[in-house]
Amino acid sequence: MSRIRYFARETWTNIRRNLTLTFAAILTVAVGVMLVGMGLMAGYASGNALDRWEGGVQFEVFLNPQIDPSQIDALGIELQNHPEIDRIEFFSSEEAYALVSQQMADQPELLAQVSPEALPASYRVVPRSVESELIESLAAQFRQRPGVMSVQTGREEVDAIRTWFTSFQGIVLLLSIVLSGASVMLIFNSIRVAMFARRREIEVMKLVGATNSFIRFPFMLEGMLHGLIGGIIGAIAAGALRGHVEGLFSRSEILAFFRSFVVTSSQFTTVVIITVIAGVVVGILGSAFAASRFLDV
Amino acid sequence: MPAGASWLLNLKARMIRFDNVTKIYKGETRAVNAVTLNIEKGEFVFLVGPSGSGKSTMLRLMTCEEKVTDGNIHVAGKDLSKLTSWRVPYLRRNIGSVFQDFKLLPNKTVYQNVAFALEVIGRPENVIRTQVPAILELVGLEDKHRRFPDELSGGEQQRVSVARAFVNRPLILLADEPTGNLDPDTSEELTSLLDRINRTGTTVVMATHDQAIVNRMRRRVVALRHGELVRDEQRGAYGGETGPAEAAATGPAEAAASQPADGDNP
Repeated sequence: MSRIRYFARETWTNIRRNLTLTFAAILTVAVGVMLVGMGLMAGYASGNALDRWEGGVQFEVFLNPQIDPSQIDALGIELQNHPEIDRIEFFSSEEAYALVSQQMADQPELLAQVSPEALPASYRVVPRSVESELIESLAAQFRQRPGVMSVQTGREEVDAIRTWFTSFQGIVLLLSIVLSGASVMLIFNSIRVAMFARRREIEVMKLVGATNSFIRFPFMLEGMLHGLIGGIIGAIAAGALRGHVEGLFSRSEILAFFRSFVVTSSQFTTVVIITVIAGVVVGILGSAFAASRFLDV
Repeated sequence: MPAGASWLLNLKARMIRFDNVTKIYKGETRAVNAVTLNIEKGEFVFLVGPSGSGKSTMLRLMTCEEKVTDGNIHVAGKDLSKLTSWRVPYLRRNIGSVFQDFKLLPNKTVYQNVAFALEVIGRPENVIRTQVPAILELVGLEDKHRRFPDELSGGEQQRVSVARAFVNRPLILLADEPTGNLDPDTSEELTSLLDRINRTGTTVVMATHDQAIVNRMRRRVVALRHGELVRDEQRGAYGGETGPAEAAATGPAEAAASQPADGDNP
């Protein structure tokens, strides 16, 4: 009991004496772990979006405009009966035109250039599997059929988006490593200053036989607290960022494409836990370095 | 104490033992050279000699602040060469230390300074509440427990530091020039306090160049010179009046001349 009170008192005195450095350390930790959280959330969001696309309409078989109606039906039956295919949907030229005119409602002069006949009819095919390799081979089978103009899969787009997100995540990760390193150094310094301010106490403690772990504990606790508070602030900032970005996507028509980039609440919980733990680890590392360097017997 | 009689006997036999101990600092200065010395439980020993003769080094070796270059030291039944670094604090709990510059914490009161020594070795609060007032009474500072060190005289500050060193009832009390900053009367008072502590069974080793005190007390005197043990006599005096050889080694004139320099403490 007296020990707990001792540690609480010593840690509090340290933090109070050293307020500016403490503040700097906490804020750096906060920004660093916020970036960790951002990187994690970007990963989750892109993963979720890509899962959705890969699991949805996967490829589209476009038909030659000159195709025979009987050929259309034959192809439809073949697709329908294929063991790898879950279901298909026919999309006529008129329906394609309706969709295009909806999308181009703001540009009537452009729309005027397009006639319904110029747009090919198509089958939208949903395969049983979501594996892109399988989808690709399936698409290739139908590419050579008579009356088929082209087969388009979403693979290239998906790959492009994945590449973009991976490099984004890489940059964020790099930044968060740099900032975490800076946080460790700041905490190291703030603990060093705290130790210097208490060098007389430390000298007396060694003299009367306090153990090293006892002497170190308040300083480790202080570093850990810096990390914990920074981690919590960082997690809150990451949460605010998530809300802001998702709001932006849902309000803006330009960014409508990104609406499927969402982070589920269970994933967000994981992000919060990881960011807070990252903060605590940074705090413990910084103070442990300081303790081992400046508290030798 | 929860220990067998053999352990007590062992302690009685040898509280401190130096076996051919040499300490060389940074490969050059030979601070202690081949010293062999036994100190029994309950003894009061003066460690005398001019500045730089190795007195402080001897004390620092006993508390493991320094490691021997050669030889062996046993303190309180422990072989210091075999003591792992994490056991050192437990050794120090058996050794109280008093210094010329007191080493009191200026932002703590007298009571807090003494209590701190118990607090940081994890003693429970009820022990602290009974032990601290008792020890303050022993050193005669019970009325001043709320004062801060800078509100006290030098002699009082040194008594606080003795209280802090003794509050855990160590087996050994080491005092390094404890009277170095005190006037003669205060020095006498402090030495008689150490004497009283010694009479409770605590082994006291006091490094000093205070001739008057050594001569008045007539206790065991161990004289060092250039790191070598040059004289060891029961009921001795500072200058060693008992034999011409010793007198030549550490003559009174030389000892007196070295006294004002007072630079023994790092």
